[in-house]
Amino acid sequence: MADDKNRPKAAMDFIKGDTDAAVFLGNPHIDNLMSIVIAIGAEIWADRQRSRIIEHLLETKGKVTKAMIEQYVPTEEQKTAWADERDTMTKRVYGVLARDTSNARPFGEPRDFK
Amino acid sequence: MLDRRTLMGVGAAVTSAFSFFTGRKAYAKTTEPKVLPAGTLAPRGRFGRMERLASLDLESRQDFLMSFRTWANSDLSRAAQQRADAILAAKGLKKDVDMSQADAVALLKDDPVIQTSTRAWISCQQLSWNGLKEEFEGNADKYLSELEAAEKLGPGKLELNPTYPWPDYVKHEIHIQPGGYVGNEFAGHMYHYGTNGFYTGRNQNDELHVGSANNMPIPKDGKVLRILDVGTGIGQLAMALKERFPNAEVWGIDAGAPMLRYAHLRSVERGLDVNFAQRLGEDSKFPDGYFDIVTSYIMFHEVNPEGTKAQVKEAMRILRPGGVFYPLDFKLTGAPRWTPYAQYRRWWDHRWNNEVWTMKFRQNGLPDIIRQAGFDLNEKEPELLKGFGILNATKPAQA
Repeated sequence: MADDKNRPKAAMDFIKGDTDAAVFLGNPHIDNLMSIVIAIGAEIWADRQRSRIIEHLLETKGKVTKAMIEQYVPTEEQKTAWADERDTMTKRVYGVLARDTSNARPFGEPRDFK
Repeated sequence: MLDRRTLMGVGAAVTSAFSFFTGRKAYAKTTEPKVLPAGTLAPRGRFGRMERLASLDLESRQDFLMSFRTWANSDLSRAAQQRADAILAAKGLKKDVDMSQADAVALLKDDPVIQTSTRAWISCQQLSWNGLKEEFEGNADKYLSELEAAEKLGPGKLELNPTYPWPDYVKHEIHIQPGGYVGNEFAGHMYHYGTNGFYTGRNQNDELHVGSANNMPIPKDGKVLRILDVGTGIGQLAMALKERFPNAEVWGIDAGAPMLRYAHLRSVERGLDVNFAQRLGEDSKFPDGYFDIVTSYIMFHEVNPEGTKAQVKEAMRILRPGGVFYPLDFKLTGAPRWTPYAQYRRWWDHRWNNEVWTMKFRQNGLPDIIRQAGFDLNEKEPELLKGFGILNATKPAQA
């Protein structure tokens, strides 16, 4: 936050929720891992977006600067194509979370291989 | 439309700006940035009415989280639904069996797919808020400067009341937004970008609010001089109503001062003469019979039962005879019976997404409260927003 303590402020005290402490997966560290894998997906997608913009700028302008990347406004065609790529990546990477695990076997369960 | 860096330049030279900013035509003359504070990035333009987030990385991460949220709400939720159906079937129960919420939660909460679905959704929500919080708090000086510059400008007014005894029910972190609507200086910023993710990017031009405003019923005599949007948040409906009724005096009130500061910033940018005040819907401070229309946008499900009754009573007081009261919110009638899985989802939305008052909203009989306050209530038309409830109330001429 800004250092200037004389600055007008508008926020007041609030009632904090406790969702940060929620455990859904039996172990808070496993819950953390879920957040981590989603966050990594977001980081990968950010790099992917940047790559797509750089590729496009190099193809069309022959050069690229940080400002050109940051200011780039995708065309409608690019928006559609990149949204499709993003959604496909989401399904490809995370689809396994939706698999039916009702036949899961315990690690120590023996199996009589023939 | 003003650019926010332009606004900061104007704020730095506010004396001359006061005389400059007196109407919409004056705004059109100020589109060239005047001052870019050292260290700030040049603005990245807009998507519709939304200023683009400050960096490509942040924008891309939010974009991804929106995609993940959509997938979690579709494929992953369907997988969880199928597991719920299988669990019920194993007990010889139909998937739409009538079951208490407590029983539904107890039955379904330990299934791995259902747990994973819930965890993934909540994690996504947390990541989205945390990313936005990091940006706005990490660049607080810049964003606060924009708010401060806008506060010196009109055409609309901004009134804050920090010493009012605000009730606790407004202080929760609804949707687990950090600090909720009242407790973070950047509540309005976070709400705007966060809820755009809720709307899967389809509200960049406030489309849902504009549509709702355009469908708003008006008094039978056609007179619309004053309009109030209660729980206005960042003023999206209030501004849309101003666009539909440009000659009306439009007010938006809310408990959240940071939300209102951001609403005012947006109204200044767009040159819309909308007044924002930090007041409660149950204690609005307006005179009797002042308004022709009193409305709200998906607000009542975030109000406690006592506040709900008091707000309806206040709406009756401040509307003139023949005035319209339309609290737009979730559908309370005609909804299909809740399956055990839907009951489970409703539970975690309440408990872990911090939808604190929604369950009580669904039970509190808002239509009856409206009738008991003396309104004539039409629950058939018009529908402001597709799939949402219809509560078109009129203050009788003799009230």
